[in-house]
Amino acid sequence: MAVTKIFFNARLKLMMVLAAIAGGVIALRLVDIQVLRHQAYLEMAERNRTQIIYQTAPRGRVFTADGVAVATNEPSFSFYYLGGSQDPIYLEQLAKDFAPRLKMDPKDVVDKLAEGARTGKAVLLAENLSTKSTVSLQELQLYYPGVYLIEETKRTYPYGGFASHLLGYISSMDDREWRNRDPRMGYRLTSKIGKNGIEKKFEKQLKGTDGGVYLEVDYRGRVTSIIQDKKWSAGSDVYLTLDFKLQRAAEEGLKNSKTGRGAAVALDPRTGAVLAMASAPAYDPNIFVPYSDEENPNQSKKINEYNLAIQGIYPPASTFKIITGAAALEYGHLDVNKKINCPGFYDSGPRVFRCWGKHGPMDFFDGMSHSCDVYFYQVAAQTGSAAIERIERKFMIGRQTGIDLPGEKAGNLYGPTRRARNKTYWFIGDTLNLSIGQGELLFTPLKMAQFAAAVASRGNVYRPYYVEKIVSNQTGKTEVLGKTEILQKADLKPETYDLLFKALKHTVEGGTAARVWIKGLDVYGKTGTAQNPHGEDHGWFMAFAGRKGEAPSIALAVFVEFGEGGSSAAGPIARAMLEAYFDLEQPAAKPAVKPQAPVRSDEDYQELLTSGEEDGSLSEF
Amino acid sequence: MAAFRNFSRPAGRSRLDYVLLGAMIGLVVLGALCIMSAVNSLSWSNAVVRTHLVALPIGALAFFVGWSFNYQIFDEQWKYLYGFILALLIGVLLFGSYQRGSRSWFVLPFFSMQPSEICRVCTILVAAAYLDRRGQRIREVSTLFGLGALLVPIFGLIMMQPDFSSVVVTFPAILVLLFCTGVNVFYLGLIGLFAGVTGFFTIAWTYIYLHPELLDYWIVNAFYQLAHSPWYMAGFSVLVILGGYLAWWFFKQLRIFLPSFYFVLATLVVLAGLFGGIFVDHQMKPHQRKRVETFLAPRSDPQGAGYNVLQAQIAMGAGGIWGKGLFSGTQSRLGFVPEKHTDFILAVVGEELGLWGTLLVLGLYLLILWRTIVVAYSASDRYGYLVCSGIFGMFFTYMLVNFGMLIGIVPVAGIPLPFISYGGSNLVASLWALGVVQSVYARRIRA
Repeated sequence: MAVTKIFFNARLKLMMVLAAIAGGVIALRLVDIQVLRHQAYLEMAERNRTQIIYQTAPRGRVFTADGVAVATNEPSFSFYYLGGSQDPIYLEQLAKDFAPRLKMDPKDVVDKLAEGARTGKAVLLAENLSTKSTVSLQELQLYYPGVYLIEETKRTYPYGGFASHLLGYISSMDDREWRNRDPRMGYRLTSKIGKNGIEKKFEKQLKGTDGGVYLEVDYRGRVTSIIQDKKWSAGSDVYLTLDFKLQRAAEEGLKNSKTGRGAAVALDPRTGAVLAMASAPAYDPNIFVPYSDEENPNQSKKINEYNLAIQGIYPPASTFKIITGAAALEYGHLDVNKKINCPGFYDSGPRVFRCWGKHGPMDFFDGMSHSCDVYFYQVAAQTGSAAIERIERKFMIGRQTGIDLPGEKAGNLYGPTRRARNKTYWFIGDTLNLSIGQGELLFTPLKMAQFAAAVASRGNVYRPYYVEKIVSNQTGKTEVLGKTEILQKADLKPETYDLLFKALKHTVEGGTAARVWIKGLDVYGKTGTAQNPHGEDHGWFMAFAGRKGEAPSIALAVFVEFGEGGSSAAGPIARAMLEAYFDLEQPAAKPAVKPQAPVRSDEDYQELLTSGEEDGSLSEF
Repeated sequence: MAAFRNFSRPAGRSRLDYVLLGAMIGLVVLGALCIMSAVNSLSWSNAVVRTHLVALPIGALAFFVGWSFNYQIFDEQWKYLYGFILALLIGVLLFGSYQRGSRSWFVLPFFSMQPSEICRVCTILVAAAYLDRRGQRIREVSTLFGLGALLVPIFGLIMMQPDFSSVVVTFPAILVLLFCTGVNVFYLGLIGLFAGVTGFFTIAWTYIYLHPELLDYWIVNAFYQLAHSPWYMAGFSVLVILGGYLAWWFFKQLRIFLPSFYFVLATLVVLAGLFGGIFVDHQMKPHQRKRVETFLAPRSDPQGAGYNVLQAQIAMGAGGIWGKGLFSGTQSRLGFVPEKHTDFILAVVGEELGLWGTLLVLGLYLLILWRTIVVAYSASDRYGYLVCSGIFGMFFTYMLVNFGMLIGIVPVAGIPLPFISYGGSNLVASLWALGVVQSVYARRIRA
C-alpha cells in the first residue's frame, strides 16, 4: 500500500503541475489581451458602439509650376435620414416632398424610410449630389427634423485631359487593393484611391483624413444619439514642374496632328525638370468621378492608359545622326569642311544603300541640315561602329531615364559590343544602319528629350523629375522633392559640342528643321523619319532652344506615330511648344498661388498674364 | 470496503477545509454579482436573478448534504447510483422538454433542471467505485473495457439528447481519474491516440470541406476521398497495418523487445480512430462544422461564427487592468457579447473588473484544484482518493475549456464556468461535488 501511495502521489503531483502550467498560460494570454492589446481592443469597442457617416476629405490639389490647379475638389452632398419621427404619415409626407426633387419614385423612398424607422438605422437617401440640387434639399432640412445633408468633396480635373497620363485618376478599389491597404490610413470600402500617375504615387500624401458624423448605436445598430461631428482635414498639395501653357500646346498639337497619336516631352536642360509630357491619345479622368444627379454622357470607362512618352519605343532615325556626327568628331578626326559627294546611293559592297535624295557634294553642316544619309554612311564607315557605340553609351542610350514613373521602357542600344556579347556577327550594313539611327536602335520619346537636354547642356544626362514639392495643408510644411540629378556626364570635347551646336543651328536656319526657326531665339533642332515596315513612317523632332545669346533653356522631343515626316508632322508641334514656352518665359512676377481658388477657368488664367504678354509685345523684342 | 470505517478524529483537527470553502464562496459571490451585472440590460433579467438566487440556497444545501454524508455510501451503493443516472437520462429523453434543439430539461411547475449536470458528478462517483473494486487488477486492460462498458450507456444516452458539451467535460475527467488510479500509461496513450486520430481526421476533413479549392491537390483529394470511398478506406487500412508490422519489425531489428500485442493494439487503435473520424464526420451538423471552422480561423468571418469569441475578447481587452467597474461595462451591457451570463461570463468579468478580476477567478480556480489534490492525497481510503481526482479532472476541464475558449485556444463548446456562470443545475451539481470533496477531507487520515 505504501508503495502505491508514493506512486499515486507522483501522478497527483504531475496533475497539479499540469494545472499550474495551464493556469500560467491562461494568465499570460489574459495579460496579453487585457494589458498589451488593451488599446486596440478599446478602439474596436468604440467602433462597436459608434456608427459613422463618413465625409470624404478633399484630396490634395495638384498645381503646375506656374500655379494652375489641374486637379482639385468640388463639393458633393449626401442626404441622410437619421430617424426622428416614426409616424408613417410624416414619413410619407417627407417622401412626397423629397422624391420629385431628385426624380425618384416616392414609393421607394417611403419603403426606405419605413425600413429606417423600423430598424432605427440611418438611411442614405441619395449620395454624390452636386450643389445644384442641394439648394432645394436644404429647404427640406428646415421642415423635416431628422434629415441631414452631409457635405463631402469630390475630385475634379478642371482641364479635363490635361497631362492625364502624368496625373492619373482615382477610382474605387478592387479586392486586392483593399486587402493591401494600410489599416491605419483609415480607408473604407467605398474610398476611391489613385490608380495611376501622381494620384497613385502620392496617394499617401494626397489623401486627407476623412471626417464624419458619429452616431451612438446599440448592438443592433439602432441610432441612440449623435455624438459629434468630426471635421475632415485635407490632403497635401503637390506642385509639378510642368509649364501649363507648354503642356497645353503640346497636347493640342498632338491632338490635331495627322494621326492623333504621339508624344511630346520637354525638359529644362539646366535642371532636368520635366516642363511638359504629353501622350496622345489621352483621356479625361473626370469620367471616374461623376455626380449622381447630373446627366452623364455614356462615356466608356475604358481608357487609354498607355503612356506613349515612356512606353513607346521607336527607332530614332535621323536624329541619331547627332551621335554619329559626335563620334566622327570625337574619335574619327572628321574634317568638317571636307565635302563628300552624295550621288543618291552608297555602295557598301554586299548591298547598295540609298539616300532619301540626291544631294551632291556637301560638308558636315550641310550633311546635317539636309540629313543626308550618304554623308553619314561615309563618315560612319570611316569612324567605325565601335566609336558610335561608345558615344551611345556616353548618352546612356538603351538605359531607362530613371524618371519616377512606373512602366518605363529602356529602349535598345545597338552596336558591335552588344552583338559580340550575343555571339553573332556585325556586318558593314549594321554600321550603316546604325549611322542613320535605324536597325535595332530604340528610343522612347522621353529618352529623346533626355538626349536633347544632354546635348543642350553639353553633356549632362539628367534623371528627369516632374514633382517640385509637396506642401501640407495642415502644417504648411514643404517637402521638396525636385532635385537635379546628373546620371552621367557625356564628356565630349568642347569643340565637338560647338560644332554640333553649329550644325543643329544650321539645320534650323536652312535645313530640314526650318519650321522651328523663331525670331529672337537660338533654336537648334533635328528631324527624323523612322522607317516603318508596317505602315506609314514615324515622325521625330528633337530641338533645344534658348533666348538669343543665352544658354538653351528648353529641350524637347516630339514624336508622331505614323506621321510620315519628322518635319511635317512633328515640326509644327515643336514650334507651337517653343512659342508657348517663350511667351511665358519672362512674366513680371509669378503670381502667388492662392490656396483658396480651386477652379480656374480660362478667363481666370488671363489674369496671370502681364499686360505685355497679353498683346504679345513682350515676346517680340 | 465492506463496512464503514469508524473514524476517530483527534481533537483540534478541522472537519472543513477552509481554504477550499473560502475559494468556493469567493467564486460564488463574484459569480452572482457578475450575473446581475450581465443581465442588467436584459428584459428577462429579473427571472434570471431570481432563479439564481433560488439556486444558491439549494446549492448550499447540496454542499452541506455532500459534506455531511459519508462519501463511502456512494462506493457501497454504486449500483443504485448507476441505476439512478440511467433512470434520469432515460427519463429526460422520455419526459424532457425540447429546447434549442436538444431534449435535456425537466420542466416542473416550480423549476426546471438539467439532469445531465447531476449525472456528470454521479458518473465520476460510479467510475471511481468501479475502479476501487478492481483492486489489484487495476493495471489490467480488462479494467478499461469494464469501465468502458459501464460508461457507454451513459454517454450514449447523453449523446441522444444531444448534449455534446456534457461529454466533452466528463470524458477528460474520466481520463484524469484513470491516470490517477494508476492505469498503465500505455493504455491511456492508446485512448489519447484514438481521440487524437479521430479529432485529426475530423478537423482536417472539416477544413477541406470548408475550403473546397484545396481539392485541386491530388493528395488532399485522396485524403478527402478517405471519408467517403470504401476503396480508399480499405487501402488506407492496409497501409496502417503494414505500418504497424514495419514498426514491429523495426523494433525487433533494434533489439528492443516490446510485447507484440502493443503494436497490434496501436494499429487497431489507429484504424478505430480512422473509422471514428469517419463516423463523426458523417454525423457532424453544419453548425458544428462552423464551430470547428471558427476555431481554425476565428477572424475569417467576424460577423458570423467568429463573432462571439471576437466580441468576448473585445470586451475583455477593453476592460484593461482595472476594468470599467461593476455594472458599467458597455460592451456586455449593450449586448455585443452573446451568452454573456452563461458561457461567456468571463467577458463580463474581464470588462468590468479588468485583469485583476479574471486573474482572481483563475487564482480561485487554481486554489480549488490545489486543495482538491491535497484532499485526494490525504484521503483515508482509495475511493476518496479516486473521487477527488475525478472531481479535480472535472473542474480542470471546465477551467481549461472555458478560459481556453475565451482566449481562443479551444473551440467554442458551450461549456459554462461553474460557480460563475448562470445555470442552477450546474451550480447545484458543482457545489455538491465540492461538498463531497469536503466530506473526504473531514474523514481524512493525514494532516
